[in-house]
Formats: sequence, structure tokens, C-alpha cells
Amino acid sequence: MQDTVTTSALLDPSHSSVSTQDKSSTGGHTSSTGPQPSKPSITPVSAKSRNPHPGANFHRMRRIIAEDPEWSLAIVPLLTELCIQHIIRNFQKNPILKQMLPEHQQKVLNHLPPDLPLAVTANLIDNENYWLRCCMQRWPVCHVAHHGGSWKRMFFERHLENLLKHFIPGTTDPAVILDLLPLCRNYVRRVHVDQFLPPVQLPAQLRPGDQSDSGSEGEMEEPTVDHYQLGNLVAGLSHLEELDLVYDVKDCGMNFEWNLFLFTYRDCHSLAAAIKACHTLKIFKLTRSKVDDDKARIIIRSLLDHPVLEELDLSHNLIGDRGARGAAKLLSHSRLRVLNLANNQVRAPGAQSLAHALAHNTNLISLNLRLNCIEDEGGQALAHALQTNKCLTTLHLGGNELSEPTATLLSQVLAINTTLTSINLSCNHIGLDGGKQLLEGMSDNKTLLEFDLRLSDVAQESEYLIGQALYTNREAARQRALNRSHFMSTITANGPENSVG
Amino acid sequence: MNPPGSLAGLDPNLDEHLSTQILAPSVHSDNPQERIQARRLRIAARLEARRREALGEYLDGKKESEEDQSKSYKQKEESRLKLAKLLLCGTELVTNIQVAIDIREIHRRVEEEEIKRQRIEKLENEVKTSQDKFDEITSKWEEGKQKRIPQELWEMLNTQQLHCAGLLEDKNKLISELQQELKTKDDQYVKDLKKQSDDICLLLERMEEQVKNVMKTFREELYNIELEYLTNRMKKVEDYEKQLNRQRIWDCEEYNTIKIKLEQDVQILEQQLQQRKAIYQLNQEKLEYNLQVLKKRDEESTVIKSQQKRKINRLHDILNNLRSKYAKQIKQFQEENQSLTLDYKRLVLQFKELQKAMRHFALIDDEKFREIWLMNEEEAKDLIARAFDVDRIIHTHHLGLPWTAPDFWFLKNVGPISQQPQKSAMQIVEEMLMHTEKEEAEEAASEPESYLDLPKQISEKTTKKILMLLCDESGFLIESKLLSLLLPLEQNECYLLRLDAIFSFTVASQRWMNALHKPSLLLLGAEHPSAAQVRGLFDGMFEQPSCFLPQALGIESEDDLYKLVNFFLKYRAHRLSSSLQIKSCSQASVEKASMEETSMGSELELAEQTEMEGAKEESLVEGEKEEEEETPPSPWDIHPNDVLKILEAFVMGLKKPRDSRAPPRVQKNVRNNSKDSEYWQALTTVIPSSKQNLWDALYTALEKYHIVLTQRAKLLLENSSLEQQNTELQALLQQYLNSKINSELQVPPTQVLRVPTK
Repeated sequence: MQDTVTTSALLDPSHSSVSTQDKSSTGGHTSSTGPQPSKPSITPVSAKSRNPHPGANFHRMRRIIAEDPEWSLAIVPLLTELCIQHIIRNFQKNPILKQMLPEHQQKVLNHLPPDLPLAVTANLIDNENYWLRCCMQRWPVCHVAHHGGSWKRMFFERHLENLLKHFIPGTTDPAVILDLLPLCRNYVRRVHVDQFLPPVQLPAQLRPGDQSDSGSEGEMEEPTVDHYQLGNLVAGLSHLEELDLVYDVKDCGMNFEWNLFLFTYRDCHSLAAAIKACHTLKIFKLTRSKVDDDKARIIIRSLLDHPVLEELDLSHNLIGDRGARGAAKLLSHSRLRVLNLANNQVRAPGAQSLAHALAHNTNLISLNLRLNCIEDEGGQALAHALQTNKCLTTLHLGGNELSEPTATLLSQVLAINTTLTSINLSCNHIGLDGGKQLLEGMSDNKTLLEFDLRLSDVAQESEYLIGQALYTNREAARQRALNRSHFMSTITANGPENSVG
Repeated sequence: MNPPGSLAGLDPNLDEHLSTQILAPSVHSDNPQERIQARRLRIAARLEARRREALGEYLDGKKESEEDQSKSYKQKEESRLKLAKLLLCGTELVTNIQVAIDIREIHRRVEEEEIKRQRIEKLENEVKTSQDKFDEITSKWEEGKQKRIPQELWEMLNTQQLHCAGLLEDKNKLISELQQELKTKDDQYVKDLKKQSDDICLLLERMEEQVKNVMKTFREELYNIELEYLTNRMKKVEDYEKQLNRQRIWDCEEYNTIKIKLEQDVQILEQQLQQRKAIYQLNQEKLEYNLQVLKKRDEESTVIKSQQKRKINRLHDILNNLRSKYAKQIKQFQEENQSLTLDYKRLVLQFKELQKAMRHFALIDDEKFREIWLMNEEEAKDLIARAFDVDRIIHTHHLGLPWTAPDFWFLKNVGPISQQPQKSAMQIVEEMLMHTEKEEAEEAASEPESYLDLPKQISEKTTKKILMLLCDESGFLIESKLLSLLLPLEQNECYLLRLDAIFSFTVASQRWMNALHKPSLLLLGAEHPSAAQVRGLFDGMFEQPSCFLPQALGIESEDDLYKLVNFFLKYRAHRLSSSLQIKSCSQASVEKASMEETSMGSELELAEQTEMEGAKEESLVEGEKEEEEETPPSPWDIHPNDVLKILEAFVMGLKKPRDSRAPPRVQKNVRNNSKDSEYWQALTTVIPSSKQNLWDALYTALEKYHIVLTQRAKLLLENSSLEQQNTELQALLQQYLNSKINSELQVPPTQVLRVPTK
């Protein structure tokens, strides 16, 4: 410890003594070392490569040649180099970073091992390069774009995700996560967890039991299969914006039990309280978690009048009409922009209540009701709502048992509405006449860019003509966008995945 | 032209649009910075759009303007369309799987629902039937309890057992059915799983294929575009090379021609240089010569300079002399000027004296003139009188005709013929005062013949009273200086001077005033030497130009004075008539009487005057007098407070007519002698020529008569001598006769003697 102190004390005077002859080369030094971080820094080599611009400072060069300082320096490494080496070696015990000059900091960061304890590095190092190395070391595939382009954020988010995934209530120490909290609270913005493990004792006891019995027994012991309670974690993360949860167990293999996939009422209540307390949350996703009407209503009630929530995704659950009614209430009591209720059990009454909320809504941009069963009654109600709505741009009604009456109303909507850009009516029973009516409506529309009518019994001819109309609309939109963003920097396309959704 | 850039540019499909919308800062964002950014972008976009509108369609314009680029542009567009189609088809292909699974799932759900419904129905039916059976069995248990016969019981138990077994069998069958179903479901699930995994595999395959395809086509298109660009570029490079070559050749040629031209120029210039050199030589010589000349000239000029300097010195001397002379002369002239001014002053004084003398002489001349005039006139009048006498005698004595004295205006004239000047107001007042004084002095004495011919209507007393009033009330018009001077004087004098001051302070022409004053002074002078002294002071004050004071009332002439008095009275009358008519009736009568008394006096005067002036005027005056009698004002009734008002009204009334009269007054002191000759001429023609003819005739006749008479006288003389002789003889006779007794002698002899002589 004393050793390091002395070196750090030595650092400044040595630097100042060296700087007189060193300054000429420092400018080029950082630039030369920047792009090659992996290069082992042996001082003679770096000293040799120190003068990348011989012509830039000719007089000084000549003087140096005349005095010939390079010769001696080539043999003995610089004191700064030695100090940096030492700092790197002892970083875990005595992290010194902020006190150094920028170029030295850079050097230190380039040579720090990526497996340093997070307690040391988390709040000290902001350098993306270091975190990039950390990520690359831990995970073979890294999509930094999913984490806002920040490697540090990605590291912490994935680290937290990993911990949560493998947290087993009762056995794992909760301190593992709570200790991490002060380190990652400033960097984590998105929590994406696709598995929550149940307590381990129950499966162990139940293992000898019959498969057929397990269902009934699981119901009995439901209160004991609670998962990890997110409340503390969510309250601790001050910049949390997205919460993407799946109450699921992966890779259970032959240990399959129905119990494993339960989303208990206690889980639901604690989750609701957590998201209610989190005022920075913008996106909330709870998918494939067997959320039924009651649980959905509990969660939605906690989201009412949330200040910033923009996206709610409850797809692949068991939500029925009551849950849909709750979502409709949420539409008029929040600033929700995206609502996804795909693959639920919403029927006509639920769709009607949603349509009622949609008629006067000015926030919602996207509504997804894929794979529900709203039928013509719900479809007509939605179409009526769209006649007054001036905000919705994307509507997905695929696989909803819709037929001609809905198409008739929708064609009227198409002629009036100028905000809708994408409609999906695939997997319905629109029929030939419905297709013709939709084509009629489409002829008056200039804004719609996507209209999916696959497998909905529409005549090929009308589908083709609609495709033509869409094509002209798309070209016009492209022209508009080009004109509008001509001066803007060219934006790289995100790939085809947007159009898939 | 880097590949990523072109890729980005070549991928202009809808997704890009969407992504830009998502990535671009939103106006509804929570971050204020982002909002500002978004607004800026929006504004910039609008401006850009407007600009583009102004320029016409930007891309079209580009297409048109860049003909060379059109090919690559076309290629680009083609590639873009192709890729867009590819992407669309690819995504459709990929999503087709999802859609297919969706519809399968829906179908499955529908079927499942149907099956579920059937199963539930079936189960319910089953429950119902089994319940019936179970009820039957339980009822039979009751029956069995009543059975006492073991065989029957056994039988019944057997049947019960059979029934139970049947029921159980049914249940088991159902269970096995359901299990069978479950198994098939399991199988199906496995199948589905397999199918789904297949689907996923297919999906992955397709996606990979798609990615590959897209990559490939993108690469191809990129390659195409690059190729296009490259060929374009090659072509352009070739073009440019050709152009460069051409340019080079052309430059070479040009260079050669220019070189030749320049060489020629150089030659020409060299020639010119030679020429110039020759000229230079010549010029040098010329200049040298000129230099010599100039040097000489310089020498000459130095000589001339010295001469000029000397000359300048001389001239300076002269100038100094002249200056001194000039100064002397100035002094001299100043002295002269002084002396002349003194002379001038003296002359002015002299002139003034002369003027005075002139005035004096003028007065004396006037006097003399008057005297001579009077003398001459007297002489003439004498002569005329004699002539008239003669005429009368002739008429009465000789012709026996009645004689009337001829009536001519000039006969009445006494003194110079100048228009009898109006007496000044002061004179009148003076006279009046004098008069009244005299009156007071000799109270009862008969009224002296008034040479004041004017107080026609108004008695002197009245006038005096009014004037006294005026004098007392309008003392403010008099200068305080004058008042102090007036103090020691006696009352009448005091009044006089005061009135004078009031009436006419600084009349426009002082001299005339003086001229007017002087005679009056002369009149006064003898009696009141002190007053005359004051008057002298007074006049002196007038002469000083500083004493020009505003005219107080401007009353100058006697007319004015009387107007004033009249005005006073009339005003009074007016007042009285309006206010005190009844009251003053008795007073008026008394006043009338007094007025009549006074007017009686004036009547006497008038009577005297009429003797002198004629009957005409008398009648006129009497008419006026009658008028006067009608107005009964009394000066005593005029309240002192009214005086000022009256004065004011009077002055206002008087001002206008007076202004017009002012200018002619100036000429008044020049005597008008136009009528003199006429006058004198008229005097000569007192006796008209007819009369003279008469006289001539008469003269001749008389002469004749005279001759006759002389003869007669002679005869008479003879006669007388004879008579004398006779008488002598008679005397002698008488003596003789009457020597002793006269009577006796006289009568008897004379009688005897006389009768025969007669």
C-alpha cells in the first residue's frame, strides 16, 4: 500500500520533469496508442514510435538529435510507463484513475483486466472501451443497439438479467442482487427477464408425485410458489425505463410441472406496487405469463394515471373482456402510445369498450389485437371509433373472425381517415364483396402504407389493386420523407424486422 | 462513393421512413432539448420544402440538369425498386408462415371449441345418466334392506353389483375415452411441436435465405450501380483526357504563335531601343547645351536680383516717407475737420439766430407790411372816399341824380387781406377771463363792447364756470413741473396757464402756437409782467424738443372751445332731460330767466355788431339764440365727477374731424398774397369805367360849362369891376350921398340905382 502511495507521489514530479522533452511527442502519442489498445506496450517500441510527425517540429527534432536523448530512453523505460504498469497491476487494491492526465488514463484503461470486481469499476470507469471488453469476454453475442449503444449499460443490464434469471427464492441470497443495486442503479434503464425460477423445495417434494396429480396439488400450494419480488430492485433503479418480464421457466426438460409456470396473485400485487412506484417507466411488457382478467386488472389499476408510461404489452396471456375493459379505462387515463393485447381472449364486449375509449383518444398510436376473437361486433365498433380518432396509425386485427360488415365500415373509415398508415386484417373472413368494398375505400386514401389481407378470402384481383394503391402511397410518402429529411444525415435502415411486427 | 453510404442511400423504402420517424426527435418528447431540436428540424424541413417548391421538384430538376448522371440515376432507381420489391416479397414470404400458423391456430381453436363443447355435452349427459343409474342403485339399496330372504337378497346384491359394475364400466369407458383423447392430443401436441419446430426451421431458413438474397441483391445492385458509375466515370475520364489533349495541342500552338509574335515584338523593341538611344544621345547634348544656357542665365539673374534688391530698398525708403507724409496729412485733415465742425456749429448757431432774426423780421415785416398796407389802404380809401364824394357831388349836384354808395367787399377791408386767423382758444379764454375780471371790477358798469364776437349762445360766465370746472378736474393733464411754476401766480393767470396746458399740449406745430401766443402775450405783457415771464419759461419749455407731450385735449381754436362748452351743456341737458325732467322744471324756468338776462346782454352786443356787420348775420345769430334758449343747461349743475366722462366723450368725438384738418395748418403762416393784386386792382376800379366816361363827358361838358362860366366869371369880374366901379362910384356917390346920413344915403339913392342893375 505504501508502495503505491509513493509511486503516485512520484508520478507528478516525474511527469513534470519529463514533460519538457516529452511534450513534443505527447500529441502524437495518444493518437497512436488510441487505435491499438491490444498492443503490448513495451517502452522501447513505443518510444521509437513516438515521433510520428518528424516534419512537424523540425527544429526541436534536430536539437534532440544533436543531444541524442532517444538513445538512452530507448534502453530504460520511462518512469511514467513504469508507474502506469504498477497502477494497472494494483488497480483492484488502489484504483487511481481520475487523478491522472487523460492520455495516461487512456493507457491504464486499455490495459485493465476485464474481470475486476464491479465494486471497484462500476462507478469509476466510464470508458466504453473497457466495458466493451468486459461484454465481449462474458457473452459471445452482443447487440449493443438493444441497450442504447452503451456498452456499460449493456454490461449492467445483462449482468442484472443474468442474476435475476438464476435467482431462486429461498435459496439464493437476496443480497446478491441488492448489493449490485448501488453499483448499477445509474446505468440500468431496461430490465428484460424471460424466466423466473420458483422456489426449489416444492419441485423437489413434488418430484415423486404423478404428473396428473401435480395440477391439483399445485393449486393447493399456490401461495408458496412465489417468484422473486421485484419491488426493491425497481425502487432502487433510478433510471429504469423499460420492464420486460416473462414469468416462465426455460429448459425445464423432464422436470416439467404446471407449477413452474404460475404467476401468483402475490407476484401480481408486488409487481403492480413496484411499477406504480416507478415514475420513470416508459415501457412495460408482461408476456406469456398466464395473466388472466383479475391479474390484468390489478396491474392496469396500478398503471392508471402513470406520468410517463407509453407502451403496454400484455400479449400472449389469458386476458378476457374484463381485462380489455380495464385496458380501455387505462387508455383514457394515461398517455399510452402503444397497446399490445395480441393472442388473448378478448371478445366483442372487450373490443367495444376499447373502441369507446379509442374514439376520443389522442395519444394511442398503435393497437394490436391479433389472435383474439372480437368478431364483427367488436370490429364494427372499432371502425366507428376510427371515424373520429385522429391519432392511431397502426392497427392489427389479424385473426379475429371478422367478415364483410366490418370491411364495409372500414372502407368508409379509409376514405375519411388520414392518419392510419398500417392495417392488418389477415386471417379473417372478409370475403369477395368485402375485398371489393375495401378496394373502393382504398381508392380515396392517400396515407395508408400497409394493408395486410392475406388469407382472408379476398379476391386476388382486388388484393393486387390494393397493393398497387399502397405502392403509390408508399412512393408519395417516400418523396415527402425525402423532401423533409433531405438535409438530415442519412439514417441507416434498421433492417426488415420493423415491417414484420 | 463508399459502400455503406450508397447502401444507406439505396435503401429508401418505407422502413427507413418509419425508422427516421422513430429515431428523429419528437415534438412530444419529455426532454426539452429534444423538443427544441425537433422543432428546429421541423422548421428547417419546412423551409427546405418551400425552397424546393420554389425551385421546382428538386429531384426532377436534378434529373434534368445532370444529363450525364441520368443513366446512373436510372440504374439507382431501378435498383431501388427492385430491392423494395424484393424486401416486400421477402417479408411477405417470411410473414406468410406466421399468418399460416395464425390461421391454423384459429382453426384449431374453433375445432377445439367445438370438441370442447361436444365433450362437455357428452360429459353432462354421462353425468345425468350415471346419476340416474346411481339413484336407481341407491333406491334399490333401500329395497334390499327390506328383503328378508337371503336368496333374494343375494340376487338383488348380484344385480346391484352388476349395475355398479356397469356404472363403473361406463365411467371407466369414459375415462379411457378421455385418456385416449388425451393421448391423441399428446400425440397431436408432439406433432404440433414438431410441426412448429419445422415451421420455425422453415422460418429461419427463409429468413436466412431472405437475408442472403437481400445481401446478394444488394451487393449486385451496388455492384451494378458502382459499375454504372465507374463506366460513367471512365467515359468522363476519357472525355476529359481527350479534352486535355486537345487543350494541350491548342496550348502548344498558341504558345508557338505567341512566341513568334513575342520574338517579333522583341525585335521591334530592340529597334526602338536603338532609336531611343540615338534620341537620348541627341537629347543629352541638347540638355547639356541647355544647362550651359541656364547657368549663364542664372548668373544674369543673380545680378538682376541684386539690382532688384537695391531697388526694393529704395522703394522702401520712399514708402516710409510717404507713410509719414500720409500720417501728417491725416493729422492735418483731422485738425481741419475739427475746425470745420466748429465752424459748422457756429454756423448752425448763426443760422438759428438768423432764423430767429428772420422770424423777428418776419414779424416786423408783417407789422410793417400791415402798417404800409394800412397806410396805403388809408390813402386809397381816402382817395376812394374822395372819389365817392366827388361822385356823389357829381351825381347830386351836377346830375341831380340820387347817389347810392357802391357796396364792395374790399371797402370794408381793413388791414392785410390775409384770412382773418381764428383766434386761438387761449386768446378767447384770456379775453374772457380778462373780461370777467373787468366785469367783476366794474360791476354795474355797462357792458363794454365785446370784441369777443363769439359767445353767441353762451354767456361768458357759463363758459368761465365750465372752464374752471374743467381746470379743476383735469389737473392731472398738467405737468407737475408746470404746477410748481404756477403756484406763485394769481388765480386768473393760474387758470389761464392751466387751461392752456390742458387744451393744447404740444400742438403739432409749435411755431404756430407761438405765433398765436405771442400777440396774446403782448396783450397781457403790459399788465402782468410776471405772467409774461412765466409765459416765456413756458415757451422755452415748448421749444425744447424733450417737452413734446401728448396732446391733452387738442383744443386749439375758438371753435373747438365753443364746441366743448356746447358739448358740456348738451350733455348736461341730455342727462337732465332723461333723469330730472320734472324736478328741474322750476329750476329750469329760473335758469331760463337768468339765461335770458345774459342773452339780453349778448343781444345788446349783437345789436351793436349788426350795425357793423349787416342784417344777415343778425338773423342768423338770433336763430341760434333761440336755439340756445331752448336748451336750459346750467353750468352749476354739472357735477365735477361727470367732467371727465364728458371730456372723454368729447375727445373721442373731436378726434376724427381734427385729423383731417391737421396738414393744411402748416401752411398757414405763409401769407397768401394772391388776392392782394386783385384787392388793389379792385380798389382802382371803384369807379367803374362807365362812370368815368360819364365823368369824362361831364368833364367836357363842365369844361365847356366852365369856359362859359369863366367867361361869365370874366364877365362877372367885369361886371363886378364894373359893379365895383359902380359901387365905388356908388360909394363915392353914397359917400357923397350918405356921407352924412347912411340910411338916407343908402336907400333912396341905391334903390334908385339898384333896380336898374338887376
